[in-house]
Amino acid sequence: MNDAVPASALADHAFLRGMPADDVTRLARAAVAVRLPAGRRLFDEGAPASKCWLLTAGHVALDLHMPGRANLIVETLGRGDVIGFSWLSPPHEWQFGAEVVESAEAFELDGATVMVLCDRHPELGYQLALRLLAAAVQRLQATRIRLLDLYAVPSHDAGAR
Amino acid sequence: MSLQAVPARYRVASRAAETHDTVTLGLEPVDDPIAPHRPGQFAMLYVFGSGEVPISISGEPGGPGLVYTIRSVGAVTRALCEAGPGELIGVRGPYGTEWGVTDAAGQDLVVVAGGIGLAPLRPALLAALAARERYRRVTVLIGTRTPDDLVFAGELETWREHGADVRVTVDRAAAGWRGHVGVVTQLIDRVDVDPAATLALVCGPEVMMRLTARSLGARGVAADRIRVSLERNMRCGIAECGHCQLGPLLLCRDGPVISYRRAAALLTVKEL
Amino acid sequence: MDGPIPADGPLLMEAAALDPLLDALRGAGYRVIGPTVADRAIVLAELGSAADLPFGWGVSLEPGGYRIRRRDDSAAFGHSAGPQSWKQFLHPPREKVWSARRTAGGFEVEAADEHAPRLAFFGVRPCDLRAIEIQDQVLGRGEHAGSRYAARRAGVFIVAVNCTEPGATCFCASMSTGPQAGPGYDLALTEMAGAGTHRFLIDVGSPAGADLLAGLPVRRADDATAGSARSAVAGAADRMGRSMPADILHDLMAGSAGAARWDDVASRCLTCGNCTMACPTCFCTTVEDTTDLSGDHAERWQLWDSCFDLDFSHLHAGPVRSSPRSRYRQWLTHKLGTWHDQFGSSGCVGCGRCIVWCPVGIDLTEEVAALQAEAGQAGNSPGAAPQAQTGGEPS
Repeated sequence: MNDAVPASALADHAFLRGMPADDVTRLARAAVAVRLPAGRRLFDEGAPASKCWLLTAGHVALDLHMPGRANLIVETLGRGDVIGFSWLSPPHEWQFGAEVVESAEAFELDGATVMVLCDRHPELGYQLALRLLAAAVQRLQATRIRLLDLYAVPSHDAGAR
Repeated sequence: MSLQAVPARYRVASRAAETHDTVTLGLEPVDDPIAPHRPGQFAMLYVFGSGEVPISISGEPGGPGLVYTIRSVGAVTRALCEAGPGELIGVRGPYGTEWGVTDAAGQDLVVVAGGIGLAPLRPALLAALAARERYRRVTVLIGTRTPDDLVFAGELETWREHGADVRVTVDRAAAGWRGHVGVVTQLIDRVDVDPAATLALVCGPEVMMRLTARSLGARGVAADRIRVSLERNMRCGIAECGHCQLGPLLLCRDGPVISYRRAAALLTVKEL
Repeated sequence: MDGPIPADGPLLMEAAALDPLLDALRGAGYRVIGPTVADRAIVLAELGSAADLPFGWGVSLEPGGYRIRRRDDSAAFGHSAGPQSWKQFLHPPREKVWSARRTAGGFEVEAADEHAPRLAFFGVRPCDLRAIEIQDQVLGRGEHAGSRYAARRAGVFIVAVNCTEPGATCFCASMSTGPQAGPGYDLALTEMAGAGTHRFLIDVGSPAGADLLAGLPVRRADDATAGSARSAVAGAADRMGRSMPADILHDLMAGSAGAARWDDVASRCLTCGNCTMACPTCFCTTVEDTTDLSGDHAERWQLWDSCFDLDFSHLHAGPVRSSPRSRYRQWLTHKLGTWHDQFGSSGCVGCGRCIVWCPVGIDLTEEVAALQAEAGQAGNSPGAAPQAQTGGEPS
């Protein structure tokens, strides 16, 4: 069910676009191809974070559990997205939960293996860091746009005048 | 041909609440009907003694009746949203440019709507679905504030049945919402688009249209294959009062539907 | 003079024949509007007789300054850039568009009556004649052919007056609108008021103009007199105090969005809108929907509006053009630039009123020169097609 990933397949993923072939080959050693059925909880808030996923199909929802509101979805990720940043830094715990909302396929990367590879091959670390930063910035920008509440009825109170 | 001087009277034949602040009115002519709207065009709707507002046609092309979807944001729109069956509304129009959806014949059609922006797009989408075989993929991406703010929610399934790939995303989920959460541009990154053979029709808040056009451009869709519907202050609707200017354009006459090739430079100049 | 009016050359008329001329206009059913002296200015008003004309009155003009003064001749048309233009008659500051009344079934709407009196404009300067033509294009042709403006315009009789003496703030020559009147007049006069003589060369511009002269004391002009009048007008073109680089204005304006000069003029501009009120081509209006106290009777009125007004560009929660910089930029780039895109000509006729009637004396010819210099320094040829500014960001 979980297959090793040929470097060529990994290189096709939007997240790794432009990464030097050698680095992709190294990264492939940390990757397995997974199928994620709809309804599977990928991770839960507070659990140890040790993996990340490069989605190739389907959708995964990041959620937060609130009393009386079940799992409120905060963002939906899909094809081309990277899921999971919390494995990178202490406390290495998931800040949100994640559930597969539409059966998905992904390359699952083992966090510990990736870190060992990056320690040995700093160029890989640099390439990954750039891309993770870009993905985080993109999500930050999207979040800022959502905070603008563009679809709300504009009021005269809004904004400084 | 002389432009209509006074409003033609229409009677509210139907009223449907789409959301807590948005209503779709079906109007039937009392006076001689105005010329048929083409998708993308708008009319100046008049409420006795209150004033006029420009509203895009939101209903199916064809037939003497008119359909408009109005969001309550001020005195006149509030009055329109409260109008009940039998009440008279004045209509001047149709004015402006059309979406030109048939320019997508043989190609992929991508419709991207933000909030109430789905209303002006709906007639173009319905026209495309009525002649579905003329188009390759028809994709509808809808961004809305919360699940409760989604307009035409009951029709999305029908659109899917007629061959549209319809995806909805909300800025903020409510409990129980299992659909997408995120900005509508995130949906663009995930759909299949043949950038060399696509026509994109985009309508929503101006920031949303700018970001959407940018995302489409990043996917390789040329600026002149992206059309946006722009909005500025409108008083007369007939290119006589000067209010709706955006640079060289008079939006009541040269718009509201504009090619993004023309619009892009204008939208980036602050306070133009 | 009896018999048909010779239409193949200019005619000559003594100033004493002005009253018969005005009588002929009134006899033909026109109310005659022309310049008069009132409130220490030359204002347009109904002429009761030729004596109402401002004989011997001239004006001293400067940025932000207008004074009438005594001339040393008795010319009736020796002035320019009065506070008003003919647009107040063709495109009134306030007019009712329609009225509506509540009925049992809803309401009924009625277009406002257009009982337009037939007007004769007596003393239209060439710049103002072109301004009328420009407003005709915006408000009276094509899809607007059935408008109230078109109905008012259709009946107007125009007596133009060529200029022999440019005002200090005039620049019609560089805008190609004067000092010789272009087509569109029924009659065009050239005044010759000197020692012991006061007469007018008359050019006939239409059959209506020719018909009006029937029975009036006019004769064919001799070559010497005609030549003298023509060269006086031509000479005026060489004595303009200001000029504009008309052929590069559209592109200069198109590339000016981020210019620093706009900040400079914004520090002076009061956004009072005087320029838009005085300008003979400014046409923007707003609409006002009102009801009476009973709420049963509603009216829609159309009123002059100005792009300097904050409310002009109101969208959703506030004005699109909030800063004075953006509003001045809108006015000038529209007048000199995007007017071409929208209506096929410049919006400026070089009458200089905006310079005279600006309370702080902003001179658009000076602003254009500064913008041109700034564009030149940025490495952009001001005559080039619009492209991204190399210097400065759009603010």
